[in-house]
Amino acid sequence: MLESPSRSDGDLLRLLSAGDEKAFIEFYRKHQGPVFRFALQMSGKTEIAEEVTQDVFVLVMNLGRRYDSERGSVAAFLYGIARNFVLRALERERPYLTVLDDPDGDFASRFAKEAAAEQDLVGGLAQTERLETLRKALLALPPAYREVVVLCDLHERDYAEAASALGCAIGTVRSRLHRARALLAEKVRASERCAV
Amino acid sequence: MNENHRDLLEGLRALALDLPREAPAHIEEKLRARFRTEKRRRKLLMWTPVFSAAAAAGIALLVWMHAERWKPVVPSAAKSNVVAPAAEAPDTGFYPLPEAEALPDIETAMVVRVELPVSSLQLMGVPVNQDGTDASVQADLLLGQDGLARGVRLVE
Repeated sequence: MLESPSRSDGDLLRLLSAGDEKAFIEFYRKHQGPVFRFALQMSGKTEIAEEVTQDVFVLVMNLGRRYDSERGSVAAFLYGIARNFVLRALERERPYLTVLDDPDGDFASRFAKEAAAEQDLVGGLAQTERLETLRKALLALPPAYREVVVLCDLHERDYAEAASALGCAIGTVRSRLHRARALLAEKVRASERCAV
Repeated sequence: MNENHRDLLEGLRALALDLPREAPAHIEEKLRARFRTEKRRRKLLMWTPVFSAAAAAGIALLVWMHAERWKPVVPSAAKSNVVAPAAEAPDTGFYPLPEAEALPDIETAMVVRVELPVSSLQLMGVPVNQDGTDASVQADLLLGQDGLARGVRLVE
């Protein structure tokens, strides 16, 4: 059981930087979910998401004291680190990524299948297929567009926080999101046409 | 906002809920182990400069002691009535004075030429072939950095 769960992120970062393991675990438990999901949604690969999550928090344990609250929230700080690791992993795995041609090799198919097994077979499968189509379309977006959709639409972060995480202007986030949604809708429509 | 756009946003919201909410538990265990390792490494790093400084001081002390032991007793300067010292310690021909043993080691030295009564030289243990105790001879005194005599030699 953690001693004082009400400690602020700033306190936790200061304590974990000083070697307080409980503070580190408290900080990790507080933030691991969004970091893991972000990496999973950006990469489509469970192993990349796990590796990125681990790398993010290793970096925090070593450089957490460098966090500057005036430059953005802790969440934006962590998304920013995670994004860099994800992009690096995607770059590394580029020759092996076949997002649209590998329906069984990635996370969403597995989770979608598990979810489908628990749902009504008639209504559930249609929903699962729609999600699968959308997921593939998202993973097929260029990373610069994918990351704004993941942050703003899937993680419901506001433009300012997304801009802070991505290190760009709010206007850039807004315009990329607009363009990303249009591309996404186009890809989904194209995919549905192919299915028919 | 058109219907397609609304459908897309609804789909994205559903997609957001479609994934596991948490990272697998084994990551926390790995990070916990890593944190402990890092903590040990950081402690070690924190003490490294202290160990390095202590080692450097020890080495410096050893070098200094070694150098002091082997430093030749050679005068470094001479005044107007002072003769330049010999280059090599064994060739200087100074007789060490008995009291000089209790004095600190010589760091800088000076040679002063003086006239001394034979009796004084004999008291210092310098072998002098002069019978008359009133007679005087010229001698060089080796003075340390504190001005105290460490040795004496007869001028040929």
